[in-house]
Amino acid sequence: MATFPERALAGLNAALVTAFDLTLGPLMGLPPLVSLLLVSLVTAAVMLVVVARTSNQPAMIETKRGIQAALFEIRLYGDQPGLMMRAFGEVLVRNGRYLLLSLVPLAWMSVPLMLVIAQLQAFYGYDGLRPGEPALVTVQLAADSGPAALVLEAPAEVGLETGAVRLAGSNEVVWRLRPTVEGAYALTVRDGDAAVTKSLLVSPAPGRRSPLSVATGLVDQVLYPSEAPLPAGSRIASIEVAYPEPGVDLFGWRMHWMIVYGVLSLACAFALARRFGVTI
Amino acid sequence: MKRAIYCALTLALVAAVATGACGSRPPVGRKVIVLGFDGLDYDLTRQMIASGRLPGFARLAESGGFSALGTTIPPQSPVAWSTFITGLDPGGHGIFDFVHRDPKTMLPYLSTTRTEPGGRTLGLGPWQLPLSSGTVESLRQGQPFWEPLEAKGISTTIIRMPANFPPSGTATRELSGMGTPDLTGTYGTFAFYTSEPYAYVGQSLAGGVVHAVKVRDGLVRASLEGPDNPFLKQPEKVRAEFTARLDQANRHARITVGTNEILLAVGEWSDWLPVSFSLAPTQSIGGEVRFYLKGLDPFFELYASPVNLDPMAPAMPISHPGSYAAELAEATGRFYTQGMPEDTKGLKTGVLTDAEFLAQARLAADENRRQYRYVLDRFDDGLLFYYFGNVDQVSHMMWRARDPQHPAYNAVTDTPNAMVVDELYRGLDTIVSDTLATLGPDDLLVVMSDHGFTSWRRAFHLNSWLRDQGYLTLIDPNRRDDPGFFGNVDWTRTRAYAVGLNGLYLNVKGRERDGIVEPGGREALAAEIAGKLLGTVDPATGGAAITKVYRREDVFHLAGNEDIAPDLVVGYAKGTRGSDESALGGLPPEVMVDNTGAWSGDHCMDHETVPGILLSNRALKQPAATIESLAAAILAEFGINGFPRRSEEH
Repeated sequence: MATFPERALAGLNAALVTAFDLTLGPLMGLPPLVSLLLVSLVTAAVMLVVVARTSNQPAMIETKRGIQAALFEIRLYGDQPGLMMRAFGEVLVRNGRYLLLSLVPLAWMSVPLMLVIAQLQAFYGYDGLRPGEPALVTVQLAADSGPAALVLEAPAEVGLETGAVRLAGSNEVVWRLRPTVEGAYALTVRDGDAAVTKSLLVSPAPGRRSPLSVATGLVDQVLYPSEAPLPAGSRIASIEVAYPEPGVDLFGWRMHWMIVYGVLSLACAFALARRFGVTI
Repeated sequence: MKRAIYCALTLALVAAVATGACGSRPPVGRKVIVLGFDGLDYDLTRQMIASGRLPGFARLAESGGFSALGTTIPPQSPVAWSTFITGLDPGGHGIFDFVHRDPKTMLPYLSTTRTEPGGRTLGLGPWQLPLSSGTVESLRQGQPFWEPLEAKGISTTIIRMPANFPPSGTATRELSGMGTPDLTGTYGTFAFYTSEPYAYVGQSLAGGVVHAVKVRDGLVRASLEGPDNPFLKQPEKVRAEFTARLDQANRHARITVGTNEILLAVGEWSDWLPVSFSLAPTQSIGGEVRFYLKGLDPFFELYASPVNLDPMAPAMPISHPGSYAAELAEATGRFYTQGMPEDTKGLKTGVLTDAEFLAQARLAADENRRQYRYVLDRFDDGLLFYYFGNVDQVSHMMWRARDPQHPAYNAVTDTPNAMVVDELYRGLDTIVSDTLATLGPDDLLVVMSDHGFTSWRRAFHLNSWLRDQGYLTLIDPNRRDDPGFFGNVDWTRTRAYAVGLNGLYLNVKGRERDGIVEPGGREALAAEIAGKLLGTVDPATGGAAITKVYRREDVFHLAGNEDIAPDLVVGYAKGTRGSDESALGGLPPEVMVDNTGAWSGDHCMDHETVPGILLSNRALKQPAATIESLAAAILAEFGINGFPRRSEEH
């Protein structure tokens, strides 16, 4: 039986999935770097609003000025070690204060940002399965589930190549697929009379991909929000489709999308701060 | 006025861009396609055409012509393809054999490329920071025949040309072929993981490494070996861990390398898996590997291909432009980047069976065929050269199946494979037919091979013959184990030695490190040895073991390669070849032995007995009787004459 927080999170995830599919879906035709820039712009704007509302702006302004003054002091009195050391100390103290002042808006932002990143991961974190390329479907059984006679049902286009492979000492059952036609498919895993489904997207085009469906656990539900949780009480703890993880091409450098997103969001935030009248 | 100037400038800019985009390579309006089929034998091709089994080849023969194509002295692939590329004999391009020797160290080295590690380093404890990167250099000299075409603005695409690693960089598109190493810098070193306690104990596994592994709770932990870590002062191989989790009942294993997983059934080959070797924090080197699950019961047995350079991000230059390899991989899938992908060593060592080797060779051939289709579909103008090496490699290993007289022939195991080589010829015939279907009326298709093929029944230990004849002296004649690499040779009393499959060198004073033969006496000694070699009789057949011995002055136009050219080139009688042991400075007790190995077909013999083939869909404007004159004939089709340049044809 799912707990109340798990049910609440499932409802929130469903709403976020709809919202992100509606807003991010149309951007998927753009190069990943461009769409990530747009997402970063919005993220930066929201971050600035949160900072403006939740931070102690006068204190932050005063602290930053103090840091600037101390840096100026270091430049001016480079020939007087005593003064310089005192200025260095001032920089350190005020930096600590600045970090403390930033904690409040960071705390406000952390949970929403985590949910947003989990949604973005579904769009940017996985490469598409292509027809002709193999992929594994792995079912993790609950720890005390005992032997299970699982059957995977899949459309012919999905190209199921193996029967259920039970891996020794791991409580895992694995199948290999080699899709032949692009499309969105539903895989069904039968365990006796019970059945659970898992989505599979075969397409090189960008879009939402759900690598893991989980039965319980708040953390997993936060990290893998794209599909509804598996039925509570099932012997199946999770179903995973191994999508490749591509990275984003940043001027010839292959980088994890989260690094690109983080850098772009911060750059946008600094660029927009004055316009929003916010000190960060 | 200003506005008019702006308009004029804009128009000029647009015109310049348009010219740059479209006008730098005026189309020549026709296609010339050269298909290089390594090792296609003239006699066998002729027989198969005559019996109607090669209809595509027959169409070419009827419309343009079919003839034997004279090969090089010696008839070895790196030599012959270098001659094709440059129009020069080995004296001009400097490739005389698969293997040369350094006269200063008397040690053999691979003849086509030289790899140099980075220069200065910055030391930090056990670590070092290379301050300059290593280099890899082609040792082939001479101008490639596509350069005059490019100079005339004709686009050229050169795919898998042997002896072109690293790519010359002078064609419009290039992918390197034979000579391209694996990630460890060898021509292919496989790995074999087994839980059998005494597997291959005491056996020499040249070309492969056997790793003993243990199965614990259905899990095997092992690692793939990469190259030496350049960030460490003491040489140490980098490793990439992997696990194999087993399902004994269903005879499957899931193999996990890094973040990649595959599921393999017993007897199944995997797709390519990218693999990353960590060198230092933030530094790694990438490759790709293919697994074959040989067995789970009673022992775990897993074969891993040589770790190939990753075409998506190759650690060494394998294409021109650099992104071309990735383009091919994106379009047609990852592929073998090592020059000779068929794992002949796996079969030679017994790690792979005939059937397993053939399955692996088929995978490599399918990749090449897919890639050819991709390249052909996008080729509409200029010159395309495309190489297929599958027949050569499989012929080496499976020729015995078509020769009941071969010492290694086994009627039970070889009968099913008697037609394997013929089937590969038929596969190439399909490629020819498909290519013909894409040609316009003015287009030209040339099909050529670098040499022919025949059965290799008898092995000749040339160094042992020199020893028995008194030209080569041992330090310890009673030593039972031969260390190889001339480890037991007394150079101060040795007048001649052999390196490579056809090369014989004299130990010349001033050239060799410990030379004793006076330069003035070199020719007389060469003539003496040549005479004796020609009189050598194979005791098993009663026939001549050697039918030709060439003095280098008679067959090479030496151009600064005097120090590396052999003094004599030995042309073994058809069916006999120089032994592998002798090629690397080994001295087995006997001189001639039966060849009982799986490597049963060859061509490194008297070059007149193993010609290649030449076919074209219409008569060439300038006929070519030998591979040396073929490049000039192809250039003549584009109206370019005088290749190779006189200054290079010494």
